[in-house]
Amino acid sequence: MLVLTRKNGEAVTVGDQIRIIVLDVKGNQVRLGVEAPSDMRIYREEIYLQVQEENRRAAQWNLADLENAVHKLDSHGKR
Amino acid sequence: MQVETTRFGSLEIEDDKVISMPEGILGFAERRFILLNPPNLGPFCWLQAVDNPNLAFVVTDVENLAYDCSYKLTEEECCALELGEDGKVIYLLIVNMAAEPQDITVNLRGPIVLNPDRLIARQLVMEGESYPLRHPFFQIRGN
Repeated sequence: MLVLTRKNGEAVTVGDQIRIIVLDVKGNQVRLGVEAPSDMRIYREEIYLQVQEENRRAAQWNLADLENAVHKLDSHGKR
Repeated sequence: MQVETTRFGSLEIEDDKVISMPEGILGFAERRFILLNPPNLGPFCWLQAVDNPNLAFVVTDVENLAYDCSYKLTEEECCALELGEDGKVIYLLIVNMAAEPQDITVNLRGPIVLNPDRLIARQLVMEGESYPLRHPFFQIRGN
């Protein structure tokens, strides 16, 4: 991993389209500004991890629960 | 081609029905899936990994929800999905099954976008409050 030391107001550039600026440092919190093409998706890492974990949970299903859910829909008269 | 599945046994699938997910589903290594839509499953479809009998997801088309959830693709995503000018896509939500129907949720934060013409799909990750990870399925279908 590349490790860089930056001060308030200093930036790191990634390629020629992404610039990450240190806006503020307070205690153990750092505020970052990210300049990137407007349609590039940028997330906090934990959002990824949440979706990953939710996927794992979703993969653990059983047929009986699915059939039960379908039955409930049917009994409400909708498909 | 023969696809083995833990839940539904052995299935005969035409080769041109295989969906390619070059980046897979987050947390899983599998890259090839088939989408099955048995008539007895109502709004639920079932996304089965071709190369892992045990890996399957229950999914539902976002259109089945009474919830205004707008997804927008980036240029890079349109490109990766090989979408044409007026390319139509399908957004599939992963369903988290539960023993009690009212506990069943859909994941609006990580929809799977599918180009039905080229059979290329990708899981998106959406940042923001309007894309909850667990949204009750029965509630959002209304009445």
